[in-house]
Amino acid sequence: MKTNMKMKTMKLSALAFAALVMGLISCGKDDTPTPPDTKVSVTDSIQVPFSPSAPFTLYRFKDSSVVANSDSASGNWDFGIRFVNIIVNGSVITQQGIYDSFNSAPESGYVADTTVTTGDTSYVKTAIDAGFTTGWYNYDLADPTHTFHPKAGQFFVFKTRDGHYAKMEILSVNYLPFQGPAPTTLVYKFRYTYQSDGSKNF
Amino acid sequence: MLHKILCAFFSLIFISSVSAQDRTDSAEKILDEVVVTGTRTENKVSNLPLPIQVISAKNIQLSGSQKLIDILQMQTGLVIANNPLGTALQGYPNPFGDGIQMQGLDPAYTLILVNGEPLVGRNAGIINLGRIAIGNIKQIEIIRGPATCLYGSDALAGVINIITQEPVKNSMNTQAHYASNNTLGLTAAGTIKKNKTSFELFGNRYSSDGYDLDKNIYGKTIDPFVDYSANAKLIYDFNDKNKFTLSARYFSEKQFNNYLIYTQDQPQVVTGTTVETDASLFAKLDRKINAGLNYTASVYATSYTNNAEVFVKKTDSLYEKIELTEFLLRPEIQVNIGKNPVSLFVTGAGYNLEKVHSTRYGSVKELNSWYVFIQKQFQWKQKTNIISGARFDKNSLYPAQFSPKIAIAYKVKPNFILKGSIGAGFKAPDFRQQFLNFSNSLIGYTLLGSNELSNGLQSLQNSGQINHNINLEPYLHNEVLKPEKSIGINAGFDYTMNSHSTFKLNIFRNDISNLIEAYNLPFNKTNNQSIYSYKNLDKVYTEGLEANFSYNFNENFSVFAGYQYLIAKDKNVMKEIKNGKMYKRDPQTNVTTLVSRSDYKGLFNRSRNTGNIRFQYNNTLYKATAFITAKYRGRYGFNGLNNFQNGNDILDDTREFVNGFVLFDATISKQISNRWKAQAGIENLFKYTNKLLMPNIFGRSYFINLNFKLEK
Repeated sequence: MKTNMKMKTMKLSALAFAALVMGLISCGKDDTPTPPDTKVSVTDSIQVPFSPSAPFTLYRFKDSSVVANSDSASGNWDFGIRFVNIIVNGSVITQQGIYDSFNSAPESGYVADTTVTTGDTSYVKTAIDAGFTTGWYNYDLADPTHTFHPKAGQFFVFKTRDGHYAKMEILSVNYLPFQGPAPTTLVYKFRYTYQSDGSKNF
Repeated sequence: MLHKILCAFFSLIFISSVSAQDRTDSAEKILDEVVVTGTRTENKVSNLPLPIQVISAKNIQLSGSQKLIDILQMQTGLVIANNPLGTALQGYPNPFGDGIQMQGLDPAYTLILVNGEPLVGRNAGIINLGRIAIGNIKQIEIIRGPATCLYGSDALAGVINIITQEPVKNSMNTQAHYASNNTLGLTAAGTIKKNKTSFELFGNRYSSDGYDLDKNIYGKTIDPFVDYSANAKLIYDFNDKNKFTLSARYFSEKQFNNYLIYTQDQPQVVTGTTVETDASLFAKLDRKINAGLNYTASVYATSYTNNAEVFVKKTDSLYEKIELTEFLLRPEIQVNIGKNPVSLFVTGAGYNLEKVHSTRYGSVKELNSWYVFIQKQFQWKQKTNIISGARFDKNSLYPAQFSPKIAIAYKVKPNFILKGSIGAGFKAPDFRQQFLNFSNSLIGYTLLGSNELSNGLQSLQNSGQINHNINLEPYLHNEVLKPEKSIGINAGFDYTMNSHSTFKLNIFRNDISNLIEAYNLPFNKTNNQSIYSYKNLDKVYTEGLEANFSYNFNENFSVFAGYQYLIAKDKNVMKEIKNGKMYKRDPQTNVTTLVSRSDYKGLFNRSRNTGNIRFQYNNTLYKATAFITAKYRGRYGFNGLNNFQNGNDILDDTREFVNGFVLFDATISKQISNRWKAQAGIENLFKYTNKLLMPNIFGRSYFINLNFKLEK
């Protein structure tokens, strides 16, 4: 108990020290102005039910968080995944090339999802193609792992609903260990860079 | 123990080769076999400008093996290819089996014939070679390169023709075979020849308990089975000009399945059987009009069924029932004018009626086709043998096919023959690609064969599974699948170095276009899942060389060695690489780079290097023979190996390579008396196994054979 207390205080003092140092740096910034790093670069994983009918799992770039599906009508999320289908809240470009060296978002070409309705049936035509041969992944029937393989050299450039830009690449899609013939949960691992200052620079 | 046996064996060889020094002049002569597959007429191998291998009954007997696939595997360039779809099943009964990859092409591209007539009933392109009992094989003829000009569809890589024994004398043969995994083979064959009639009857029962390579997965890797086969052949010689042949073949295999399924995520054991049957009837009349004119009229009928029925063990309720029935009827006539190899003209025509019924196809599907072929074989200035031919296939479902071929052999010296051939081949779209109508209940996608597309889409839209806004009009005119096409070139030489050694080399190239692949339609179902169909898409090529060397040290000791070098690549992938559109993403560093031309190693499941070596040693003193084979399969690519993925599904990383391996077999035969012969053998001496990728290879196994023969 005692040692815990001690550690806590130590941590606190470390934080205080860091704040002090940062304060010093920000003081210095006034003298030689360098633009603040407003980019957020994150590698994250989310779990998505292995089901073509489950609710979409929604994700927000700004704070790297999963948003409750009840919030789906709001602008609080940026993309959502159900099975292999990806929806976007703003608009998106599917970009070919090398993620690391892609430094600025295109001016135009962003496509939004559209809802097609006839009578009482409707479905979402997603901007991101999730087709078996044409979509964002490869699927090899002969692969004993039965996993979806995100195509290399392909990533997404997002224009979020509030006008921010982000680039995002899906790195892998795996299953949580499962019993029985069908998996229950897909683990999507992806990385992204989100530009919070509203510019197109990554 | 084993070590001692091997030492003893090799010292025997050593002694014999020393003693061979002073009697090389009595060395066994190289045989010039007579084959029928290359030209549909009898020809000596040396007169044929085609790459041909012959496996003799003697070699089959010496190996002691009961499995055709093991015997074929001894041949250079014939590689066992598991259907990768099967390896993905992990513990479920694998319906796809394993077939023979020839010149780097999948098993679906090699035609399998028994006495010149095709077997039907391919599962995902593979014919279960266990359907052919080997006890009465006279020889196996293997032709490399397209043989479509004579045999029609499927003969792109080549033809494997299994020729059974002719009843030429009164004889009786029986064999008992016992091997690891409680494998029991019982064979009996009898032939009678009396005056103008000869008759042969052959029966075989073969059963095994199967085996389990992975104890962590419920159920056996190879399920227990019982096979029965029977052949009968009746020949009646009216006179020296007219001959009538009637033959029948029957095979059945019952496999005992026992595996785990999951209903509502609860494991349940299901048990049941898979029964495969294969029956055929063949009638033929050979008629000689005069020395330079004869004809053959024949009718062949064959049927194949594959019925699987499994029940939930606890409740005894039916879990699944799958049925497949295929039928082929083929009347044919062939006329031969002249005499080979000097000048022979062959022409023929036939009609195919094919029917297939499957639980996944809806109704019975029927296919009608007819064909004509012509072939001219002639000699030019005695040193050049030429065969040219062509075949025309007209089919009710796909465009007519014209398949020409020309082959030339030039005798530079009597012992050095240059050979070259070029020919066209085709493979008809299979029933699955045309007629499948299947919706996956778990994921919700739909697969529609090309001929089902229009109906399938309309009924999906009518039932609200496709949105009414989508204009189906462009997809309602079923696109006719074209046959997959190939151009095959083979060139090489046969060099008989002296009376006891030969060297044969063949360089090949196959260009295949119109490969049929699945694709997804540009719109989804209302459940957001894709609809797939089939289209002619890919282009691939294979090229390489086959080299065969045989050397008879003396009449009692011979060595055979073979090697194949193979490159097989997808032309579309090469184009993407050239255009800078093919990327790879390292799964460790996530760094994405372009795939370079040298990164791309070609198609999965192909070994660049394969080889085999075979020793045969006779000890006349003890009337014993030793037969030893080693088969090497070099490393090959496998997608998803050890969960490796770099985001392009092509072979471009050494981490996608499965290590090469060697299978080593040894058999010792001993003639006990004129009538009795005993054999003992070891298969897979070094216990190579790969439970995931090579489930058909058991660890080390042992067998014994006892043969009894009566001849008059």
